[in-house]
Formats: sequence, structure tokens, C-alpha cells
Amino acid sequence: MADLTQILSLSASGMKAQANRLRHVSENIANADTPGYHRKTVSFEAEFQNGTKTGGVDTGPVELDRTALSRIFDPGHPMADEQGFYDGSNVDLMYEVADAREAQRSYEANLKMFDQARQMSSSLLELLRR
Amino acid sequence: MDIRSAIANQGYAATKPATSPKADPNAGAQGGALVDAGKSFAQTLSQSEEIAKAALVGQADSQALVMALAQSELAVDTVVTVRDKVVEAYQEILRMPV
Repeated sequence: MADLTQILSLSASGMKAQANRLRHVSENIANADTPGYHRKTVSFEAEFQNGTKTGGVDTGPVELDRTALSRIFDPGHPMADEQGFYDGSNVDLMYEVADAREAQRSYEANLKMFDQARQMSSSLLELLRR
Repeated sequence: MDIRSAIANQGYAATKPATSPKADPNAGAQGGALVDAGKSFAQTLSQSEEIAKAALVGQADSQALVMALAQSELAVDTVVTVRDKVVEAYQEILRMPV
């Protein structure tokens, strides 16, 4: 029974991490047209509690993507330089959408595990009820 | 006649100590485990209440709320099932022909 309740908290930590990742993806998409914006990425790390691994997952510190910003040609833009270019963001919507889809799939997998643990424990208790 | 009833009385008095309730040496340990289980049950419920309160004011995320509610549901389910079983066993004892 302790294992089954532990599954609930592990799956919840996975779902929380994926939700955090999706939040950063949506920040990136929202700022896709912000000049000078570097896309944010989060890494996943093993969760520690009192110095021991809990088996759950946690999101690490936010990192900025260091790839070069896109150069956009728009002489009428207030930030344009002499050649008429200005620094856009380095967000690639293709990457963001793919990342969002992966986060969604992982979230669904965690949700399935959560549901499975719940069903298993309730069917175990059903055995006693007869 | 009087002698025989006195002997019967004596015999009855002699068997009395054998039927008096004795303190079970294991009772403490079993009671302790049960008390511990009850305490952890109450703790689970109060924890999920705290998380539910935090989630309602936007301090906890929804995953934590769902996890807390599922855990407390599981705990209540377990306790209710065990209680039903205990009550059933007690009623079974009461139905026993004496």
C-alpha cells in the first residue's frame, strides 16, 4: 500500500515538472517576437529530500539558449542599425511546438500511471469488501 | 446437602480467578500499531486539507491538489473498509449461538 501511495506522489512530481516545462515553452512562444529575447530551457533533475533521492523528478535552474539571435531586416524599426537589421529572438516555433507536444505526452504518461495506481489500490480494497 | 452446596461454592470460587480478564502482554504493541495507523490517517487528512486550502488561494499547483485528494480518498477508503470488516466480525460474534 505504501508503494501505491508513493506512485501517486512520484507521478505528481512528474506532472509538476512537465507543467513547469510547458510554462517555459509558452513563455518562449509568447516572446517569439520580442527583440533580443533568448529562449528559456529547463533541465530535469532527480529530486532530493534530506540528501536522499526520492525517485521523483524536479526541474533544474532555468537556462538561456545561447544561440545567435535572428537578424531581421526592417529599416523602419526603431531598433534597426545602419544596415536596417535588428536583433530578434532566437525562438524557433517548430522547436517550441515539438517541445510542447513532448511535454504533453509525458504528462499523459504520468497521468496514466497515477490513474493506474489509484485503480490498483481501489481494486485491492474491493477484495476486502466482499 | 449443605456440605455439597458448600463444596460447590468452593469449587466455583476456585475457578473464578481462571476466568478473570488477564492483561494481554501483546495488547500494548497491537494497540500501539493501531494508534499509529490512526495517527498517520489523521495526518494524511490534515495534510491534504492544508494543500486544498493552499490550492484554493493559488499557492499550490493543481497536481499537488489532485495527489493530496487521491491520497486522502485512498486513506478514507482503507479505513472505511477495515471498519466495515471489524463491524461485520463483531456482528458475526454476536450472532453466535450461545
